[in-house]
Amino acid sequence: MAVQTEALMTTTVTNRRPGPSRLAARAVAAAPLVAVLFLLPLKSDTFGHVAAYAAIFVMVGLSMNVLTGYTGQISLGHQAFVGLGALTAANVVSTGVTPADPFTFAIGMLTAAAAAGAAALLLGAVALRIRGLYLALVTLVFGSVFADAIFTLPSLNGHEAGVSAYRPTFISSEYRYYLFALAMVAICYYIDVRVRKSKVGRGLVALRDNELVAAAFGVDVLRYKLLGFTISGAMAGLAGGVFAFWSQEFSDKDFTAIAGFNLALTFVVVVVVGGLANRGGVMGAGAFFALVSPISPLLQWVADKTHWGTYYGNNKFYIANVIGAVLLLQTVILNPGGLGQVIRPFARWFAGHPFTLHDPDGDAGVGAMEGSSVRA
Amino acid sequence: MSVLEVRDLTIKFGGLTAIDGLNLRVDEWEIVGLMGPNGAGKTTAFNCITGFYKPTHGTVYYRDREVTKLPPHRKAALGIGRTFQNVGMVKSETALENLLTAQHTRAGYGSLQAIAGVSTVRQREKELTAHAEAILDLLGLADIRDRRIGALPYGTLKLLELGCALATDPDVLLLDEPSSGMGPEESDQLGERLLNLRQELGVTMLLIEHHVPLVTAVCDYVYVLNFGKLLAEGDPDHVRNHPEVVAAYLGGEAPDALAQTETPEDEPPADEIAPADAPVQRKSAARAPRKATGATKKAPAKKTPAKRAAARKEAS
Amino acid sequence: MHEAVLGATQFSVQINFLSPLINGIANGAAYGLLGLGLVLLYKSNRIFNFAQGEFATVGAIVTYVFYSGTGVLPKLPFFVAVPIGLLASVGIALLTERLVIRPMFNRAKVILVVGTVGVALLLIGVEGLLPYPKTQSLPTISDVLKVQPFIGRVDGIPILYQDLAKLAMLVVLAVGAFYFFRYTRTGTAILAVSQDATAARVVGISVERISLISWGIAGLLGGVAGVLLAVPPQGTVTPGAFTGTTLTVAFAAAVLGGMTSLPGAFVGGLSLGLIEAFANVDASFVPGLNHVHSGQAELAVFAVLLAVLLFRPRGLLGSET
Repeated sequence: MAVQTEALMTTTVTNRRPGPSRLAARAVAAAPLVAVLFLLPLKSDTFGHVAAYAAIFVMVGLSMNVLTGYTGQISLGHQAFVGLGALTAANVVSTGVTPADPFTFAIGMLTAAAAAGAAALLLGAVALRIRGLYLALVTLVFGSVFADAIFTLPSLNGHEAGVSAYRPTFISSEYRYYLFALAMVAICYYIDVRVRKSKVGRGLVALRDNELVAAAFGVDVLRYKLLGFTISGAMAGLAGGVFAFWSQEFSDKDFTAIAGFNLALTFVVVVVVGGLANRGGVMGAGAFFALVSPISPLLQWVADKTHWGTYYGNNKFYIANVIGAVLLLQTVILNPGGLGQVIRPFARWFAGHPFTLHDPDGDAGVGAMEGSSVRA
Repeated sequence: MSVLEVRDLTIKFGGLTAIDGLNLRVDEWEIVGLMGPNGAGKTTAFNCITGFYKPTHGTVYYRDREVTKLPPHRKAALGIGRTFQNVGMVKSETALENLLTAQHTRAGYGSLQAIAGVSTVRQREKELTAHAEAILDLLGLADIRDRRIGALPYGTLKLLELGCALATDPDVLLLDEPSSGMGPEESDQLGERLLNLRQELGVTMLLIEHHVPLVTAVCDYVYVLNFGKLLAEGDPDHVRNHPEVVAAYLGGEAPDALAQTETPEDEPPADEIAPADAPVQRKSAARAPRKATGATKKAPAKKTPAKRAAARKEAS
Repeated sequence: MHEAVLGATQFSVQINFLSPLINGIANGAAYGLLGLGLVLLYKSNRIFNFAQGEFATVGAIVTYVFYSGTGVLPKLPFFVAVPIGLLASVGIALLTERLVIRPMFNRAKVILVVGTVGVALLLIGVEGLLPYPKTQSLPTISDVLKVQPFIGRVDGIPILYQDLAKLAMLVVLAVGAFYFFRYTRTGTAILAVSQDATAARVVGISVERISLISWGIAGLLGGVAGVLLAVPPQGTVTPGAFTGTTLTVAFAAAVLGGMTSLPGAFVGGLSLGLIEAFANVDASFVPGLNHVHSGQAELAVFAVLLAVLLFRPRGLLGSET
C-alpha cells in the first residue's frame, strides 16, 4: 500500500487558499465581529461584565459540544461541573479580602478543571452501564444531588456566606477580566478543534453513531466514552473557575435547587439550539443565552430604553425561559441543524470555500443525537 | 500455522443454541467461505470470532494465540478486521473521515498528544489522509472522498466498507456478505478485487457469502453451516454439490435430480467432502489439497508473515 | 444478644420513627401522583415527559385563579373550579401532543424528550408572565369541607385529611389506570401502539388518535396531582412548582416502581417518600455537620435510582422489556 500512497501524495494536494481580494473581503466581513468582540465590552464596566459572562457560557457550550455533540451523551446535570469548578477555584485560591496572587490563581483554575474532570469521569462510569433516556435521568439527578449535597457543605460554601474570590490585580478590571475569559475560551476552542481533527474526535463520533462499528475500527469504546466525559467536565470546570472570579465569590445558591435546574436546562438548550457537533453554532448560542439570561443586564438595558423596564425587571426570569424554550422547540421541530446549520454557509465561505447556500454535506445537527448510542 | 482457528465454538442465547461446536480454520493467504441458509449462525460466528459476543464454550486462536476473551477493539488492533452485514460505518461522516476513523489503531499518537496538538500529530494526520486517499483510489472511489456516506448507494457503501476494513490494516479480514447490493457484474469485479487484495497485501480472508459464483471464483475452502452446526466443508465445487448442502438451501431432502445434474463429470472422491460428523483426523486429510487449490487460483502474496509483522510495527 | 437489644433501644430513642413515616407517606403520595403520568407516557410513547410537572402546575394555577376570582375572572366554588383546572391541564397536554410530539413522531426518543424539556421551560415562562398572585396555595380538602384539618393524632402527630385524600386518589388512579390498560379497548390499543406502531396500524388502530388520547390522560393525571399537591403548608401555585426537585424524585419513584407499571408508580412513590424521610436523620456524626444536611435525602434518592438501574432495570413491578 505504501507505493500507492506515495504516488497519491502529489495528486491530492488541492489549493484552497483564497487570493488577496478574497482575503480582503473576508477581512471586511470580520471587522464588525472583531469590533463587537473587543470594542463593545470597552464601552463600560457593565458591558465588560456581561461580555465576560457570555464568554463563560461559550466555554460551557464547548464543553457540552464535546459531550453531547461528539460523544452523543446527554447531560442534564452539567451545572454540577461548572459549580464544582467554581467551588474548587474559590476554595483553593481562598482570597479572603485580598486579591489573589497570579500563581495561586493559575493553580486554582487548573484544580477547578481537574476536579470537575474527575467528577465527570465518575458520571461517565455510570454512563457505561446506563443508556439513553435513563442516562438523561441519572445525569439530572446527579446534577442536583451533587450540587445540593456537596456545594452546601458548610466547610466548602463559606458557612453559607459564600467564598470570596477576588481577582488578581492584573485582571481586576472588568475589561481585562473579559480578555482573560476570552483567553480561556481560546483554550477550550483549541482543545475542541484538536479533538475534532484527530483520532480522538473521530473515535468519539464513531462511538456516538455506532458503538459496534467503533469497536470494529479499533476504538476502545469504554475508554473513549470516559475520555469524552472527562474532557467535557474539565472544560466545564474551567468555565466554573472563571465564573467564580467573575462574580468574585462562590455561592452554592447559584447552582442548587431551581437555579441549578434552570442552568442545567439552559446548557442543554445552548447545545441543541447551537446545533449538535457544530462548534461555531454552539459558541454563538452560548453567547446568546448568556446575554438574554436573567443575570445579564443587557435586556434590562433594552427594556429601559423602550419603557418596559419595570415589567422586564419583574419578569426577567420568565422572559429568559420563554426565549430559550421557543428557540429550543423551534430547533428540534423545524430546524434540527440548529444555529450552526444557519451560519454554516458563512462559516464555509470564511474558511475559504466558495459561497453557496446549498450545502449537500450539511452538518448532522440534532441528527447527531439520533445515532444508535443515544437512542433509547 | 493457521491464521485463525476456532475450536469447538458454542454460543447459547437463553435456551437457543445459535452455534453448536463449530470448528474452523483459516490458513495463511487463504480465502475461506462461510455459507449457510439464513439464520444458520454465520454472522453469530463472526461476532464470536471478533469479540462482539462471548462464546458460551470453545476457543478462538489468532496465530496460535488464544484470543477468545479479548474485546473487539483489541482484536481489531491485533489485525482481525471485519465488515458488517448491514454496512458498518460512521453514518454522519464523509468517506474520507470514515477511512481515517478506521485507521484508529495505527494513528501512532496518544490521545493526550492529540489534544495538545503536537507536531507529530499533524504529520501523522497527513500520512493517514494520504493512506486513506490511496485506499479510495485503489477501490475507484476517489470521487466520493468528501461525500457524507448517508446518501450513497448500497453497493458503493459495501465497497467503501471494505476499504474501511482494509484501513484498519488487517492481517485477516472477515467480510460479511461483501457482494450484497451489487449486481452480477459488480460482484464479478469484487471477486477480482478480493483476489488482487490477497495478491498485493497478503490479506487472509474469511467471508460470509451467498453468491455462489463469487464463492466459487475466490474461495479456496468453504464451510457450510446449518442450524448452528457445521454441515459440510471442502473445496467450493464439492461443497456446492454436497447433497446435504443442497437440501439445506432448498429445504427438505436433497432432490436427487438436482444433485445429479449439478454434479460435475469428475465426481470427487467421497473423502474430500468432510461432513461435520466426520472424525476429526479426517479433516486434516481433507485439508491437504487446500494449499494446492489456493496456489492454482493465484500465486501467494509476496509478503511473508515476518515481513508483514515488520511492516505492521513500522506503521504503528 | 443482650448488647444488640440494648443497641436497638438506643436507636429507637434517638430517632422518632413515626414522624418520618407519616411525612414519607404524604410526600410519597405526591411522587406517586406525578409518577402515574410519567409511567403512562412511558408505557404508551416510550418517552420521559419532562413537562409532566408543569401539567400539574397548570391545573393548580387555573383552578386557583377561578377559585379565588383573580382579576376579571368570576369567583367560582371549588368543585366548579377544579374541573376547569383539569380541563386546562388536558388542553395543554393535547396541545403539546399536536404541536411538539406529532411533528417529531419518527425522530429519536431523546429528541422528543428534549422537546418536552422545551415545553416545560415554555410553560414555566408563560405562567410567570401571567398576572396572578404567585405565592398563594389552593385550599385543602378540609378547608373546602369546613372541617378540622386532621382526622386525629397518632403519637401527637396529626394525620391530615389532605394526605389521606392524596393517598386515596393515588390508589384509585393507579388501580383505575391499571384496569384501563388491561380491560378497555382504548387501553389495550395504547399498549399495542407502544409495542409495534406499524402492526397496530395494520389492524386498524389510529396511531395518531391513540397518541392524542394517551397525552390527554397524562394531562388529566397531572392536573389531579397539581390540585391535590398545591396546598399548604408547602404547596403553592408558583410557576414551575412541580418541576425541579419534585419531578426529579417522581421520575426516580417511577423508575423504582418499574417504568412500565402503573401500580409500580404507587409503590415506587411511597417507597421513595419513605426513603427520603428516613434519610433525613441527624447527620451530626459526620465531621463538619451538626444538623440534618440538605443533600441527604437527594443522595438517598440518587443511590436508589442508580441501584435500581444497575441491578434491576425493570424496577420493582415493571415488565421484562
